[in-house]
Amino acid sequence: MATSVADRIAVGEGADAATARAWLDANGWPGRRDEAWKYTPVDEILASLEVEVVAEELVIGEVVAQEVAVTSADVDDLAGDHGGPRIVFVDGRHAPHLSTSHPLGDGAWCGARGDGDAAEPVEVVRYDGFQALNHLAAHEGAVVEIHAGIEVDLPIHIVHLAVPTASRLAQPRTTIRLGDAARATVIETYTGLPGATFVNASTTIALGEGAHLDHHRIQTESAEGIHVGHTRTNSGADSQLRSTSVMLGAAIARHALDLTLRGEHAHANLEGLYLPRGYQRHDNVLTVDHAASHGTTVQLFKGVIGDEARGSFGGHVIVRPDTVGTSADQTNRNLLLARTAQADTRPWLEIFADDVRCTHGATVGRLDDDALFYLRSRGIPRTEARAMLITAFADEIIDHLTPASLRGHVHDAVRRQTEDDT
Amino acid sequence: MLHIQGLTASIAGTTILRGLDLDIAPGEVHAVMGPNGAGKSTLSNVLTGREGYEVGGTVTYDGNDLLAMSPEERAVRGIFLAFQYPVEIPGVGNMYFLRTALNAVRHERGEDPLDAMTFLRVAKEQMAALDIDPAFLSRSVNSGFSGGEKKRNEVLQMTMLEPRLAILDETDSGLDIDALRVVADGVSRLRSPDRSMLIITHYPRLLDLVRPDRVHVLSAGRIIRSGDHTLADELEVDGYASTVAAAAS
Repeated sequence: MATSVADRIAVGEGADAATARAWLDANGWPGRRDEAWKYTPVDEILASLEVEVVAEELVIGEVVAQEVAVTSADVDDLAGDHGGPRIVFVDGRHAPHLSTSHPLGDGAWCGARGDGDAAEPVEVVRYDGFQALNHLAAHEGAVVEIHAGIEVDLPIHIVHLAVPTASRLAQPRTTIRLGDAARATVIETYTGLPGATFVNASTTIALGEGAHLDHHRIQTESAEGIHVGHTRTNSGADSQLRSTSVMLGAAIARHALDLTLRGEHAHANLEGLYLPRGYQRHDNVLTVDHAASHGTTVQLFKGVIGDEARGSFGGHVIVRPDTVGTSADQTNRNLLLARTAQADTRPWLEIFADDVRCTHGATVGRLDDDALFYLRSRGIPRTEARAMLITAFADEIIDHLTPASLRGHVHDAVRRQTEDDT
Repeated sequence: MLHIQGLTASIAGTTILRGLDLDIAPGEVHAVMGPNGAGKSTLSNVLTGREGYEVGGTVTYDGNDLLAMSPEERAVRGIFLAFQYPVEIPGVGNMYFLRTALNAVRHERGEDPLDAMTFLRVAKEQMAALDIDPAFLSRSVNSGFSGGEKKRNEVLQMTMLEPRLAILDETDSGLDIDALRVVADGVSRLRSPDRSMLIITHYPRLLDLVRPDRVHVLSAGRIIRSGDHTLADELEVDGYASTVAAAAS
């Protein structure tokens, strides 16, 4: 089965396509038995990929948005305008007429680039069939390149928009590279038009020594869609990463965040918010690999789960032998809005060193009836009171989004997502 | 204004109120006193619409069936409960909360919502009168407040929302003498010919500062004795036991 979809897509010409092809032929697709896919309905994803995805024809440079009327105003609504450059891709293909550019100054560049000039070779550690499928495909990738010592103040916004076209399969690819002591804020928005879409996304982030990156990943695709996403980050010495993932859309969404601390004294704050409702399935899979000494990582993921939905969090922490001074904290909190909602949480710590401080904690709770009554007793309608309590829970994550316009945009989306229809 | 007849309430199979009758006219201040377990908090919960009780009997408020209304409907129509244990709500700002509540009540009265600046001015005036630190507004609702701060926050809300019927559930409990005076002054300022109050308390000390028009003794889910404010003094001297025993014989 692995090869049949792979045979139907337009294949890239670079070395990573060859690597991906070889890997896929040898290993195939993940299954429920794979630890990292335990909570993902991978059979449903594969059935959809196999049955519904027809041949994809990718023509580099074609203005694909002509076939589906998407306007800049639509992009404003779906992704927001956050004051910096906004590079828009439709089904993984660059849409220049929807993009806006702002000068970033010398040593900083963002835009679209074909697979001919891939920035670095694909890593096949903790690799899987979906990453391989993405890397196999010909693409125009989003690229952010900040050279050593350059600080960019404007937020760089990459929008990957999925539209329910005949081919269905969108494989956006993003590369973010910060040189030594470079600094930037990058927002990746995955959104889409209503309808059945299938997005298989791959993002690669490389942080040089002492680099600072704020990375926000917002997923608000169609509630009928499927979203499989991977973000792979390599952190250099003394680098700082602040990463926020917000998951609102898709019928089935999975985001795997794989971080390796390559250099000493690297720090990462990994935060996430997922809000499945209806029959949505949201799956967060984190792997934090402390491969160098004195790394500190703090994970905080929060789920707000309604109706018959299911949200899951798996946090895998690896502390390598011969490292010292690692500090790793992991927290997962869940708020269930209905008796039928379900939360799964699973810490997975693999510690091969002695001088280590690791904590993990998980909670699953419901809205506080006393607080709800208190607010209602002051005249605040039940729906509003409920929204206030949910917002109070979610704001701990949303408050860390930058700039303020992104906070506002996500705040409104969260509010719509958690409104009670009863 | 409030007419309670044959009110019964039970929770999880345990009957707490067993046919309570009480009438409160506009402008009157009534006190309900009673020993622990008499049903005092249940009475305030049932009047404000807390879920979880099996309720019987009738309660009419301004001629309308109070028991058929949701908690928020009762609130916007002018019923206010000062909680015995105000709830801590981390993450919800006190100012946002108060303004949302005030504007919900104003909406019901047909008044325009207050903008943030006007609200802030009004709130600060009232806070000064209640000796509340202005920094209070930027904190989460009741989060990390001391017992006295929580009770003063209740009186602040009551002052801002201008209820027509204020129910004070053990508002004096847990207060030192200075805080009690501040709270009592706040309550006294709210007395007016068209505002009624129901003060529920175990101890008569708040009643020394806010003289009620009527005092009722609640025991085992019923009002067993009523009188004027001198009844409170009598209870302070004799305790509840003799009144309860006299009613039983």
